[in-house]
Amino acid sequence: MSEVVPEARLAAGQAIDFRVLVVDDDPDMAAYLARLLENEGLAAETVHNGDAAIVSVMSTPPDLILLDVMMPGTDGFEICERLKAETATAMIPIVLVTALEDQQSRVRGIKAGADDFITKPVHREELIARVKTLKRLHATRREMESRRLAAEVQRKDALRRTFSRYLSPRIADRIISDMDDEGTPFRRGAQRVSVVALFADLRGFTRLTESTRVDEVVGLLNEHFSVITDAAYRHDGTIFSMAGDSLLVGFNVPFPQPDAAARAWHTAQDMLRSFTPVHARWTKSGGAPTGLGIGIAAGESILGNIGSPHYMSYTIIGDAVNTASRLVQAAKPGEILVSGSVYETIRAMIPSGAAKSQGEVALRGKSGTTPVWSITV
Amino acid sequence: MDDKSNLVTVPKDLEDLIPVFMSNRKKELDALRVALAAADFEQLRQLGHRMKGVGNSYGFAQVSDFGKYVEDGARSGDRALLESTIVRYTEFLSKVQITYE
Repeated sequence: MSEVVPEARLAAGQAIDFRVLVVDDDPDMAAYLARLLENEGLAAETVHNGDAAIVSVMSTPPDLILLDVMMPGTDGFEICERLKAETATAMIPIVLVTALEDQQSRVRGIKAGADDFITKPVHREELIARVKTLKRLHATRREMESRRLAAEVQRKDALRRTFSRYLSPRIADRIISDMDDEGTPFRRGAQRVSVVALFADLRGFTRLTESTRVDEVVGLLNEHFSVITDAAYRHDGTIFSMAGDSLLVGFNVPFPQPDAAARAWHTAQDMLRSFTPVHARWTKSGGAPTGLGIGIAAGESILGNIGSPHYMSYTIIGDAVNTASRLVQAAKPGEILVSGSVYETIRAMIPSGAAKSQGEVALRGKSGTTPVWSITV
Repeated sequence: MDDKSNLVTVPKDLEDLIPVFMSNRKKELDALRVALAAADFEQLRQLGHRMKGVGNSYGFAQVSDFGKYVEDGARSGDRALLESTIVRYTEFLSKVQITYE
Protein backbone atom coordinates (compact mmCIF):
# COMPACT_ATOMS: atom_id res chain seq x y z
CA MET A 1 0.00 0.00 0.00
CA SER A 2 1.40 3.38 -0.91
CA GLU A 3 -0.29 6.04 1.17
CA VAL A 4 -0.45 9.72 0.48
CA VAL A 5 1.60 11.65 3.02
CA PRO A 6 -0.27 14.61 4.48
CA GLU A 7 1.58 17.88 4.54
CA ALA A 8 2.73 19.21 7.88
CA ARG A 9 1.40 22.62 8.78
CA LEU A 10 4.04 24.98 10.07
CA ALA A 11 3.12 28.60 10.59
CA ALA A 12 5.34 30.92 8.56
CA GLY A 13 7.82 32.77 10.70
CA GLN A 14 6.88 30.72 13.73
CA ALA A 15 9.56 30.88 16.39
CA ILE A 16 10.82 27.36 16.94
CA ASP A 17 12.07 26.83 20.45
CA PHE A 18 10.99 23.19 20.73
CA ARG A 19 11.06 20.76 17.85
CA VAL A 20 9.41 17.37 17.91
CA LEU A 21 10.23 14.53 15.55
CA VAL A 22 7.25 12.25 14.95
CA VAL A 23 8.23 8.78 13.73
CA ASP A 24 5.35 6.60 12.54
CA ASP A 25 5.09 4.32 9.52
CA ASP A 26 1.43 5.32 9.20
CA PRO A 27 1.46 8.78 7.57
CA ASP A 28 -2.03 9.56 8.86
CA MET A 29 -1.02 8.81 12.42
CA ALA A 30 2.15 10.88 12.03
CA ALA A 31 0.15 13.78 10.54
CA TYR A 32 -2.37 13.57 13.38
CA LEU A 33 0.30 13.72 16.05
CA ALA A 34 2.08 16.54 14.24
CA ARG A 35 -1.15 18.49 14.01
CA LEU A 36 -1.81 18.23 17.74
CA LEU A 37 1.68 19.48 18.47
CA GLU A 38 1.44 22.33 15.97
CA ASN A 39 -1.83 23.39 17.55
CA GLU A 40 0.20 23.95 20.71
CA GLY A 41 2.74 26.11 18.88
CA LEU A 42 5.37 23.38 18.68
CA ALA A 43 7.30 22.58 15.53
CA ALA A 44 6.80 19.02 14.31
CA GLU A 45 8.56 17.04 11.62
CA THR A 46 7.37 13.62 10.47
CA VAL A 47 9.31 10.64 9.14
CA HIS A 48 7.91 7.22 8.32
CA ASN A 49 10.60 4.64 8.95
CA GLY A 50 13.43 3.86 11.34
CA ASP A 51 16.31 4.67 9.02
CA ALA A 52 14.87 8.08 8.14
CA ALA A 53 14.41 8.72 11.86
CA ILE A 54 18.06 7.98 12.63
CA VAL A 55 19.24 10.21 9.77
CA SER A 56 16.96 13.05 10.86
CA VAL A 57 18.01 12.85 14.50
CA MET A 58 21.70 12.76 13.66
CA SER A 59 21.50 15.68 11.21
CA THR A 60 19.14 17.91 13.19
CA PRO A 61 18.66 16.65 16.73
CA PRO A 62 15.10 17.38 17.87
CA ASP A 63 14.07 18.32 21.40
CA LEU A 64 11.67 15.38 21.68
CA ILE A 65 10.86 12.24 19.70
CA LEU A 66 7.44 10.61 19.46
CA LEU A 67 8.33 7.13 18.30
CA ASP A 68 5.96 4.46 17.03
CA VAL A 69 6.94 1.00 18.23
CA MET A 70 5.54 -1.33 15.59
CA MET A 71 7.17 -0.41 12.32
CA PRO A 72 8.40 -2.58 9.48
CA GLY A 73 12.22 -2.81 9.38
CA THR A 74 13.86 -1.11 12.32
CA ASP A 75 11.23 -0.98 15.05
CA GLY A 76 10.79 1.68 17.72
CA PHE A 77 12.58 -0.31 20.43
CA GLU A 78 15.69 -0.65 18.30
CA ILE A 79 15.71 3.03 17.29
CA CYS A 80 15.29 3.99 20.93
CA GLU A 81 18.18 1.75 22.02
CA ARG A 82 20.44 3.14 19.31
CA LEU A 83 19.69 6.78 20.09
CA LYS A 84 20.06 6.28 23.84
CA ALA A 85 23.42 4.56 23.27
CA GLU A 86 24.84 7.59 21.42
CA THR A 87 26.25 10.36 23.60
CA ALA A 88 25.01 13.05 21.20
CA THR A 89 21.41 11.82 21.28
CA ALA A 90 21.10 10.07 24.63
CA MET A 91 19.56 13.09 26.32
CA ILE A 92 16.76 13.59 23.78
CA PRO A 93 13.52 12.49 25.46
CA ILE A 94 11.75 9.67 23.64
CA VAL A 95 8.05 8.90 24.03
CA LEU A 96 7.08 5.51 22.67
CA VAL A 97 3.72 5.56 20.94
CA THR A 98 2.25 2.12 20.94
CA ALA A 99 -0.89 0.10 20.69
CA LEU A 100 0.89 -2.51 22.73
CA GLU A 101 -0.68 -2.46 26.12
CA ASP A 102 0.94 -5.45 27.66
CA GLN A 103 3.36 -5.00 30.51
CA GLN A 104 6.10 -6.90 28.71
CA SER A 105 6.27 -4.29 25.96
CA ARG A 106 6.45 -1.47 28.48
CA VAL A 107 9.29 -3.21 30.25
CA ARG A 108 11.08 -3.61 26.94
CA GLY A 109 10.52 0.09 26.23
CA ILE A 110 11.96 1.06 29.61
CA LYS A 111 14.96 -1.18 28.99
CA ALA A 112 15.41 0.49 25.60
CA GLY A 113 15.64 3.82 27.44
CA ALA A 114 12.22 5.33 26.65
CA ASP A 115 11.31 8.33 28.79
CA ASP A 116 7.53 7.91 28.54
CA PHE A 117 4.75 6.01 26.78
CA ILE A 118 1.54 6.93 25.03
CA THR A 119 -0.96 4.30 24.03
CA LYS A 120 -2.88 4.37 20.76
CA PRO A 121 -5.50 5.61 20.21
CA VAL A 122 -3.78 8.76 21.30
CA HIS A 123 -5.89 11.11 23.39
CA ARG A 124 -4.97 14.65 22.57
CA GLU A 125 -5.16 15.96 26.14
CA GLU A 126 -2.90 13.18 27.34
CA LEU A 127 -0.41 13.73 24.52
CA ILE A 128 -0.23 17.48 25.10
CA ALA A 129 0.08 17.07 28.87
CA ARG A 130 2.94 14.60 28.49
CA VAL A 131 4.72 16.67 25.85
CA LYS A 132 4.40 19.83 27.93
CA THR A 133 5.82 18.06 30.96
CA LEU A 134 8.76 16.81 28.93
CA LYS A 135 9.21 20.27 27.44
CA ARG A 136 9.42 21.77 30.93
CA LEU A 137 11.92 19.10 31.96
CA HIS A 138 13.86 19.74 28.78
CA ALA A 139 14.00 23.50 29.47
CA THR A 140 15.12 22.86 33.05
CA ARG A 141 17.77 20.38 31.90
CA ARG A 142 19.00 22.82 29.24
CA GLU A 143 19.17 25.65 31.77
CA MET A 144 21.09 23.46 34.22
CA GLU A 145 23.44 22.31 31.47
CA SER A 146 24.17 25.88 30.36
CA ARG A 147 24.80 26.88 33.99
CA ARG A 148 27.08 23.89 34.44
CA LEU A 149 29.00 24.78 31.27
CA ALA A 150 29.31 28.43 32.33
CA ALA A 151 30.60 27.34 35.74
CA GLU A 152 33.03 24.94 34.06
CA VAL A 153 34.35 27.70 31.80
CA GLN A 154 34.76 30.02 34.80
CA ARG A 155 36.53 27.30 36.78
CA LYS A 156 38.93 26.54 33.94
CA ASP A 157 39.61 30.25 33.37
CA ALA A 158 40.44 30.66 37.04
CA LEU A 159 42.68 27.58 36.92
CA ARG A 160 44.38 28.84 33.77
CA ARG A 161 45.03 32.23 35.36
CA THR A 162 46.43 30.56 38.46
CA PHE A 163 48.56 28.03 36.62
CA SER A 164 49.85 30.62 34.17
CA ARG A 165 51.61 32.44 36.98
CA TYR A 166 53.76 29.39 37.55
CA LEU A 167 53.75 27.46 34.29
CA SER A 168 54.07 28.11 30.61
CA PRO A 169 50.59 28.93 29.17
CA ARG A 170 50.91 25.91 26.89
CA ILE A 171 51.49 23.57 29.80
CA ALA A 172 48.64 25.18 31.70
CA ASP A 173 46.34 24.61 28.73
CA ARG A 174 47.55 21.03 28.40
CA ILE A 175 46.95 20.31 32.07
CA ILE A 176 43.46 21.84 31.96
CA SER A 177 42.47 20.01 28.79
CA ASP A 178 43.76 16.77 30.31
CA MET A 179 41.66 17.16 33.44
CA ASP A 180 38.80 14.77 33.89
CA ASP A 181 35.37 15.74 35.21
CA GLU A 182 36.60 15.52 38.79
CA GLY A 183 39.40 17.99 38.08
CA THR A 184 42.17 15.43 38.31
CA PRO A 185 45.07 16.58 36.16
CA PHE A 186 47.77 14.50 34.49
CA ARG A 187 45.63 11.58 33.54
CA ARG A 188 47.97 10.61 30.75
CA GLY A 189 50.86 8.35 31.52
CA ALA A 190 54.47 9.23 30.86
CA GLN A 191 55.56 9.23 27.23
CA ARG A 192 58.94 8.76 25.61
CA VAL A 193 59.44 11.72 23.30
CA SER A 194 62.11 13.30 21.17
CA VAL A 195 63.07 16.57 22.86
CA VAL A 196 65.30 19.57 22.31
CA ALA A 197 66.23 20.80 25.80
CA LEU A 198 67.58 24.28 26.45
CA PHE A 199 69.06 25.37 29.76
CA ALA A 200 69.77 29.05 30.43
CA ASP A 201 71.77 29.95 33.49
CA LEU A 202 72.96 33.21 35.03
CA ARG A 203 76.72 32.79 35.25
CA GLY A 204 78.28 34.19 38.41
CA PHE A 205 74.97 34.23 40.22
CA THR A 206 76.33 32.45 43.30
CA ARG A 207 78.93 35.18 43.79
CA LEU A 208 76.24 37.78 43.37
CA THR A 209 74.07 36.31 46.12
CA GLU A 210 76.97 36.58 48.54
CA SER A 211 77.40 40.33 48.01
CA THR A 212 73.82 41.53 47.47
CA ARG A 213 70.84 42.01 49.81
CA VAL A 214 68.28 39.24 49.64
CA ASP A 215 65.45 41.48 48.38
CA GLU A 216 67.71 42.82 45.67
CA VAL A 217 68.66 39.28 44.63
CA VAL A 218 64.99 38.39 44.24
CA GLY A 219 64.42 41.55 42.17
CA LEU A 220 67.34 40.74 39.89
CA LEU A 221 66.21 37.14 39.49
CA ASN A 222 62.66 38.18 38.67
CA GLU A 223 63.94 40.56 36.01
CA HIS A 224 66.26 37.87 34.60
CA PHE A 225 63.49 35.27 34.45
CA SER A 226 60.99 37.76 32.96
CA VAL A 227 63.33 38.44 30.08
CA ILE A 228 64.27 34.85 29.32
CA THR A 229 60.81 33.31 29.83
CA ASP A 230 59.36 35.91 27.45
CA ALA A 231 61.98 34.91 24.90
CA ALA A 232 61.09 31.23 25.37
CA TYR A 233 57.38 31.93 24.92
CA ARG A 234 58.04 33.98 21.77
CA HIS A 235 59.39 30.82 20.14
CA ASP A 236 56.76 28.51 21.63
CA GLY A 237 59.09 26.86 24.06
CA THR A 238 57.63 25.11 27.06
CA ILE A 239 59.13 25.99 30.41
CA PHE A 240 59.50 22.94 32.59
CA SER A 241 61.48 24.21 35.53
CA MET A 242 62.93 27.29 37.11
CA ALA A 243 65.47 26.49 39.80
CA GLY A 244 67.89 28.98 41.33
CA ASP A 245 68.96 31.10 38.38
CA SER A 246 68.47 28.31 35.86
CA LEU A 247 65.63 27.79 33.40
CA LEU A 248 64.76 24.57 31.53
CA VAL A 249 62.87 25.02 28.26
CA GLY A 250 61.64 22.10 26.13
CA PHE A 251 60.83 22.04 22.44
CA ASN A 252 58.78 19.41 20.58
CA VAL A 253 56.97 18.87 23.88
CA PRO A 254 54.17 18.61 24.77
CA PHE A 255 53.19 19.39 21.17
CA PRO A 256 55.16 18.30 18.09
CA GLN A 257 57.46 20.96 16.60
CA PRO A 258 59.29 19.65 13.52
CA ASP A 259 61.60 22.71 13.71
CA ALA A 260 62.34 22.22 17.41
CA ALA A 261 66.14 22.67 17.10
CA ALA A 262 65.72 25.89 15.10
CA ARG A 263 63.28 27.19 17.70
CA ALA A 264 65.77 26.44 20.46
CA TRP A 265 68.51 28.23 18.53
CA HIS A 266 66.33 31.32 17.94
CA THR A 267 65.30 31.27 21.60
CA ALA A 268 68.93 31.20 22.72
CA GLN A 269 69.81 34.21 20.54
CA ASP A 270 66.68 36.03 21.67
CA MET A 271 67.54 35.39 25.34
CA LEU A 272 71.06 36.75 24.93
CA ARG A 273 69.83 39.76 22.95
CA SER A 274 67.07 40.56 25.45
CA PHE A 275 69.39 40.08 28.39
CA THR A 276 72.03 42.52 27.05
CA PRO A 277 70.30 45.79 28.13
CA VAL A 278 69.37 44.25 31.49
CA HIS A 279 72.96 43.24 32.04
CA ALA A 280 74.17 46.70 31.02
CA ARG A 281 71.85 48.33 33.55
CA TRP A 282 72.93 45.96 36.29
CA THR A 283 76.57 46.68 35.48
CA LYS A 284 75.91 50.42 35.57
CA SER A 285 74.30 50.21 39.00
CA GLY A 286 77.36 48.38 40.29
CA GLY A 287 78.05 44.72 40.85
CA ALA A 288 76.54 42.29 38.35
CA PRO A 289 76.61 38.69 37.40
CA THR A 290 78.82 38.04 34.48
CA GLY A 291 76.15 37.09 31.98
CA LEU A 292 73.94 34.43 30.56
CA GLY A 293 75.16 30.98 29.50
CA ILE A 294 73.07 28.55 27.46
CA GLY A 295 73.25 24.80 26.75
CA ILE A 296 71.18 22.98 24.10
CA ALA A 297 70.95 19.23 23.46
CA ALA A 298 68.58 16.91 21.62
CA GLY A 299 67.54 13.33 22.23
CA GLU A 300 65.02 10.98 23.72
CA SER A 301 63.46 11.97 27.00
CA ILE A 302 60.52 11.04 29.14
CA LEU A 303 57.68 13.53 29.45
CA GLY A 304 55.37 13.00 32.35
CA ASN A 305 54.10 13.70 35.73
CA ILE A 306 56.89 13.07 38.16
CA GLY A 307 56.67 13.27 41.92
CA SER A 308 54.35 12.12 44.65
CA PRO A 309 50.58 12.52 44.95
CA HIS A 310 51.28 15.55 47.17
CA TYR A 311 53.88 17.26 45.05
CA MET A 312 54.14 16.76 41.33
CA SER A 313 56.09 18.23 38.54
CA TYR A 314 55.09 17.93 34.90
CA THR A 315 58.53 17.77 33.38
CA ILE A 316 61.03 16.11 31.09
CA ILE A 317 63.85 13.86 32.19
CA GLY A 318 66.44 11.93 30.25
CA ASP A 319 69.61 12.17 28.24
CA ALA A 320 68.81 15.40 26.35
CA VAL A 321 68.03 17.20 29.61
CA ASN A 322 71.16 15.86 31.34
CA THR A 323 73.39 16.82 28.42
CA ALA A 324 71.92 20.33 28.16
CA SER A 325 72.42 20.72 31.91
CA ARG A 326 76.09 19.72 31.65
CA LEU A 327 76.56 22.05 28.68
CA VAL A 328 75.11 25.07 30.46
CA GLN A 329 77.38 24.43 33.42
CA ALA A 330 80.36 24.58 31.05
CA ALA A 331 79.11 27.62 29.11
CA LYS A 332 80.82 30.96 29.61
CA PRO A 333 78.81 34.19 29.84
CA GLY A 334 77.34 35.01 26.43
CA GLU A 335 78.17 31.54 25.11
CA ILE A 336 75.79 28.95 23.65
CA LEU A 337 77.05 25.36 23.87
CA VAL A 338 75.20 22.88 21.70
CA SER A 339 75.50 19.13 21.24
CA GLY A 340 76.62 17.74 17.89
CA SER A 341 73.17 16.69 16.69
CA VAL A 342 71.72 20.13 17.42
CA TYR A 343 74.63 21.78 15.64
CA GLU A 344 74.10 19.65 12.52
CA THR A 345 70.46 20.74 12.38
CA ILE A 346 71.05 24.48 12.84
CA ARG A 347 74.49 24.96 11.26
CA ALA A 348 73.04 26.72 8.18
CA MET A 349 71.49 29.37 10.45
CA ILE A 350 74.65 30.19 12.35
CA PRO A 351 76.57 33.25 11.17
CA SER A 352 79.88 32.41 9.57
CA GLY A 353 82.68 32.09 12.10
CA ALA A 354 80.39 32.14 15.11
CA ALA A 355 80.65 28.41 15.83
CA LYS A 356 83.74 26.60 17.02
CA SER A 357 84.07 22.89 17.62
CA GLN A 358 85.10 21.92 21.14
CA GLY A 359 85.76 18.39 19.94
CA GLU A 360 84.53 15.31 21.77
CA VAL A 361 83.97 16.36 25.35
CA ALA A 362 83.58 14.05 28.36
CA LEU A 363 80.69 15.68 30.17
CA ARG A 364 80.36 15.11 33.89
CA GLY A 365 78.19 12.10 34.71
CA LYS A 366 78.17 10.75 31.15
CA SER A 367 80.02 7.59 30.24
CA GLY A 368 81.03 8.49 26.67
CA THR A 369 82.03 11.70 25.00
CA THR A 370 79.75 14.25 23.33
CA PRO A 371 80.61 16.40 20.32
CA VAL A 372 80.19 19.97 21.50
CA TRP A 373 80.08 23.24 19.59
CA SER A 374 80.50 26.68 21.06
CA ILE A 375 78.58 29.53 19.47
CA THR A 376 79.09 33.17 20.27
CA VAL A 377 76.94 35.76 18.51
CA MET B 1 -23.77 -1.55 12.17
CA ASP B 2 -26.87 0.54 11.60
CA ASP B 3 -27.00 3.75 9.57
CA LYS B 4 -25.85 5.80 12.53
CA SER B 5 -22.66 3.84 12.50
CA ASN B 6 -21.78 5.53 9.23
CA LEU B 7 -21.75 8.94 10.93
CA VAL B 8 -18.39 10.29 11.95
CA THR B 9 -17.60 13.48 13.79
CA VAL B 10 -14.11 14.81 13.20
CA PRO B 11 -12.44 17.57 15.19
CA LYS B 12 -12.44 20.79 13.18
CA ASP B 13 -8.68 21.18 13.36
CA LEU B 14 -8.23 17.91 11.44
CA GLU B 15 -10.56 18.82 8.60
CA ASP B 16 -7.84 19.56 6.07
CA LEU B 17 -6.22 16.19 6.78
CA ILE B 18 -9.36 14.17 6.04
CA PRO B 19 -9.15 14.00 2.20
CA VAL B 20 -5.73 12.37 2.48
CA PHE B 21 -6.94 10.20 5.37
CA MET B 22 -9.90 8.92 3.30
CA SER B 23 -7.73 8.36 0.25
CA ASN B 24 -5.39 6.25 2.36
CA ARG B 25 -8.32 4.24 3.75
CA LYS B 26 -9.37 3.29 0.21
CA LYS B 27 -5.82 2.21 -0.58
CA GLU B 28 -5.87 0.29 2.68
CA LEU B 29 -8.99 -1.52 1.57
CA ASP B 30 -7.27 -2.58 -1.65
CA ALA B 31 -4.27 -3.75 0.35
CA LEU B 32 -6.56 -5.80 2.63
CA ARG B 33 -8.17 -7.50 -0.38
CA VAL B 34 -4.80 -8.30 -1.95
CA ALA B 35 -3.43 -9.68 1.32
CA LEU B 36 -6.50 -11.82 1.88
CA ALA B 37 -6.34 -13.20 -1.66
CA ALA B 38 -2.72 -14.10 -1.04
CA ALA B 39 -3.57 -15.48 2.43
CA ASP B 40 -0.87 -13.14 3.74
CA PHE B 41 -2.00 -13.16 7.35
CA GLU B 42 1.05 -11.26 8.61
CA GLN B 43 0.30 -8.40 6.23
CA LEU B 44 -3.34 -8.51 7.29
CA ARG B 45 -2.33 -8.39 10.93
CA GLN B 46 -0.12 -5.35 10.34
CA LEU B 47 -2.84 -3.55 8.37
CA GLY B 48 -5.39 -4.29 11.07
CA HIS B 49 -3.00 -3.08 13.73
CA ARG B 50 -2.51 0.22 11.95
CA MET B 51 -6.25 0.71 11.37
CA LYS B 52 -6.84 0.11 15.05
CA GLY B 53 -4.31 2.77 15.97
CA VAL B 54 -5.27 5.51 13.55
CA GLY B 55 -9.08 5.30 13.36
CA ASN B 56 -10.03 6.54 16.81
CA SER B 57 -7.46 9.33 16.69
CA TYR B 58 -9.31 10.96 13.77
CA GLY B 59 -12.72 10.23 15.25
CA PHE B 60 -13.29 7.15 13.08
CA ALA B 61 -14.00 4.66 15.85
CA GLN B 62 -15.42 2.28 13.22
CA VAL B 63 -12.05 2.08 11.47
CA SER B 64 -10.44 1.06 14.76
CA ASP B 65 -13.14 -1.56 15.30
CA PHE B 66 -12.68 -2.97 11.80
CA GLY B 67 -8.93 -2.96 12.46
CA LYS B 68 -9.38 -5.01 15.61
CA TYR B 69 -11.46 -7.59 13.71
CA VAL B 70 -8.84 -7.76 10.95
CA GLU B 71 -6.01 -8.15 13.45
CA ASP B 72 -7.91 -10.84 15.39
CA GLY B 73 -8.92 -12.64 12.20
CA ALA B 74 -5.36 -12.58 10.90
CA ARG B 75 -3.99 -13.91 14.17
CA SER B 76 -6.46 -16.78 14.26
CA GLY B 77 -6.44 -17.37 10.51
CA ASP B 78 -10.21 -16.83 10.43
CA ARG B 79 -10.86 -16.18 6.75
CA ALA B 80 -14.62 -15.83 7.24
CA LEU B 81 -14.14 -13.06 9.79
CA LEU B 82 -11.65 -11.32 7.54
CA GLU B 83 -13.90 -11.53 4.50
CA SER B 84 -16.95 -10.23 6.32
CA THR B 85 -14.93 -7.43 7.92
CA ILE B 86 -13.57 -6.31 4.56
CA VAL B 87 -17.12 -6.30 3.11
CA ARG B 88 -18.38 -4.21 6.02
CA TYR B 89 -15.38 -1.88 5.83
CA THR B 90 -16.03 -1.38 2.10
CA GLU B 91 -19.65 -0.53 2.81
CA PHE B 92 -18.69 1.84 5.62
CA LEU B 93 -16.25 3.76 3.46
CA SER B 94 -18.83 4.13 0.69
CA LYS B 95 -21.48 5.44 3.03
CA VAL B 96 -19.56 7.34 5.67
CA GLN B 97 -20.84 10.83 6.44
CA ILE B 98 -18.41 13.20 8.04
CA THR B 99 -19.24 16.25 10.08
CA TYR B 100 -16.69 18.61 11.60
CA GLU B 101 -16.94 20.30 14.94
